[in-house]
Amino acid sequence: MWVEGIFVTATFTAPQEIGVNPQSMLWLLPLVAAISVVYKATKLPKITAGVFLKEVGALFGSIVVFILVTALVLYAMAWLITE
Amino acid sequence: MERRSKENHILFLLIVGLAGWLVPGGGHFLLKRERQAVIIFATILLTFCAGLYIGSIGVVDPVGSWPWYVAQIMNSPLVAVLGHVTAGGGYPVYGRPNEIGQIYTSIAGLLNLLCIVNAIYLANLRGTEQGEG
Repeated sequence: MWVEGIFVTATFTAPQEIGVNPQSMLWLLPLVAAISVVYKATKLPKITAGVFLKEVGALFGSIVVFILVTALVLYAMAWLITE
Repeated sequence: MERRSKENHILFLLIVGLAGWLVPGGGHFLLKRERQAVIIFATILLTFCAGLYIGSIGVVDPVGSWPWYVAQIMNSPLVAVLGHVTAGGGYPVYGRPNEIGQIYTSIAGLLNLLCIVNAIYLANLRGTEQGEG
């Protein structure tokens, strides 16, 4: 148990290896999920599993769609400027 | 009598805010909103720990990146203990893990700030309703 505890602690003292590639952008998804969950937890007056999950899913989806649209617009602008 | 009641109300708001800062979700727990408190506690703790796991405890750096540290300390005053450990520069972290770790831990802190403000607002609303009722 002690040894396991030391190993778990050690993983927090050295950074993980994350390359600078398009896949690393997927790290935004857990963050968007966290933002959606906490925001909806503060906004809903009464929390029931069904309503909460539905609201969180809708917010999560709308944030991701907005990010994708923004990325596409920026990509198109960069393409138009550089071509 | 009314002044004393107002002072008690302000003290209660301060206690709610402080509880929310000490333990994420603590303010909502004091307001008997246990479900919200559990959700807030679990989500903020997971986000903060994910940031520490990705970038190591080196992402909490009160000297080299103090603007991030201001957001990180909103998680809990316990972050200051981490800041004290890492202030010597013994846990260097660079590049993408540093960026992602800082963003995760800082967003967790800002989310907790949102929860603290929300808890104080709810406590104030409750106090106002009781005063009128």
